[in-house]
Amino acid sequence: MRKAIDCVKGGLRWAWRHKFRAVVLLAASSLLVPPPARSQFLDPCCAILAAGLSTISSTLSNVIGGGLNNILGVEKSISNFEQTVVWPRHLIAQAQSLVGNLQGLFHQMRGVMQVPVNSATLPATQQFEQNLLSGNAKQIDQTSARYTTVYGAVPSATAASPQARNMIDITDAMAQATMKKAIEIDALADLEIQAADQINQSIQTAAPGSAPIIEAQADAWLVRANAYTQSATADLMRVRAIALANDSENLKNGAANATNVQQQIYNLLKRQ
Amino acid sequence: MDALIHMLFGCLLALFCYGMTKAKSRRQVLALALAGVLAIALIGPPPARAQGSLVAVIQSVLNVINGLIHTALNSINSVRTTVSNLYQQATWPVALIGQAKAMVTQMIGRYRSPMQTIFDLNLNSATLPNPSALESVMRDHQINDFSNLTTAFASTYGALPATTATSPADRTMMDMDDALALDNLKTLKESDAADDLTLQAANNIENGASQAAPGSAPFLTASAVASSIVSQALTQKMLAAELREEAAHLAHENALRKRGAAMTGDVNAEILKLLERK
Repeated sequence: MRKAIDCVKGGLRWAWRHKFRAVVLLAASSLLVPPPARSQFLDPCCAILAAGLSTISSTLSNVIGGGLNNILGVEKSISNFEQTVVWPRHLIAQAQSLVGNLQGLFHQMRGVMQVPVNSATLPATQQFEQNLLSGNAKQIDQTSARYTTVYGAVPSATAASPQARNMIDITDAMAQATMKKAIEIDALADLEIQAADQINQSIQTAAPGSAPIIEAQADAWLVRANAYTQSATADLMRVRAIALANDSENLKNGAANATNVQQQIYNLLKRQ
Repeated sequence: MDALIHMLFGCLLALFCYGMTKAKSRRQVLALALAGVLAIALIGPPPARAQGSLVAVIQSVLNVINGLIHTALNSINSVRTTVSNLYQQATWPVALIGQAKAMVTQMIGRYRSPMQTIFDLNLNSATLPNPSALESVMRDHQINDFSNLTTAFASTYGALPATTATSPADRTMMDMDDALALDNLKTLKESDAADDLTLQAANNIENGASQAAPGSAPFLTASAVASSIVSQALTQKMLAAELREEAAHLAHENALRKRGAAMTGDVNAEILKLLERK
């Protein structure tokens, strides 16, 4: 105890002798003293923070959690509706399977329409028939020659009147063009059947969202097919128009011939 | 972490006190004091925040949650509910979907069988054996009896004359005419068979429609359009056959016209010869 009192006295004496240093040390000590620890129970800052966080937590649970739960409920309802009513998987699979079944029918139709129907018995007619039924647009070049072999050529200028030659030529031309059109239409129809087959195949692997795109393409093909049908119908009407014109021409020729005969008879009687 | 900071402070203080007691001049004391102040300034703890600011921050967070986020969630919920109602009441009402499927089923029951009965009516009208046989084979929708058709055709219309019985030109034309007629009759048999398959496809599509959902119907629609393309192609093939037939008819008449012109020329020549002789 005495030692401690001596030590304090010594320190005070040192401070009295070194007043400046003592003041600096005092100031430094007061600055370097660590701040007092904050108590969780006594510090008002912590209490406010805890209350705030608790309020935030309950607000998050009620406001955001509740709102999200409501949205989740609606979303579940929509999802369930879409999966059971709008896009049920088993009905989609069933429709795809039906499309596969139709594919089989398409193949049967294709097979049916490919059975050969050739019937001619003579060499010239067999060649011509083969050309007509080929459904190959590349063979159209040979149609005129084969036609002439079977139906004969336009008579020479000395063998028939110019009027008769004109009529024969236009009739031959129309008959040949119509036959060529038939080859062309057969070729187009074959391609259309191929395209329909391909479209049907792609439907089998489509999704409900992509099927309408394929349907749009199929619609375009249908429009195209209608145009070809119209074109063929036009040729049919043309060939019938020519047939009608020929009938009329026959009547006109008959009338002209009758007049000529009358004139000849009149001349003969006059001479006698 | 806190203990480490306190130890550091303790060490610094001890060092500072030692330096202060051992300093020999005022200048050293001053330098030591300045170094201490600098050290305190650099490693000193940040100033404490006011309590009022913390409350304001918490309140602002609560305001954001109760205001902006709450309103946004309510809006999302409202929109999704509207969408759900739109789907279920306007776009895909279950009652109307059921009604549409019921209508398909009802129409199948009402129309399919009577139409098939009408379509299957026997139209054969020939009375004699050969024409009856030909008519029957022409209309049987089979594609594996073309030889029967050829035989029945020859029995009714006669066979091609022998080479000695007619001119080569006539024979050729007869053969071509018969061939094109037979070709078309065969094509019609094929077309009839394909027609049966087309009707089967239509029935299948209609059956599918009676069980479809809005999401599976586009498959059937697309396939129906593809079937229409095939059907249109078959129509074109029949049109092509008709074109051949009409063209052959025209060509036949024209060939007769050519022969008439040739015969007229021959007759004229003979009359001229006869007159010259007199």
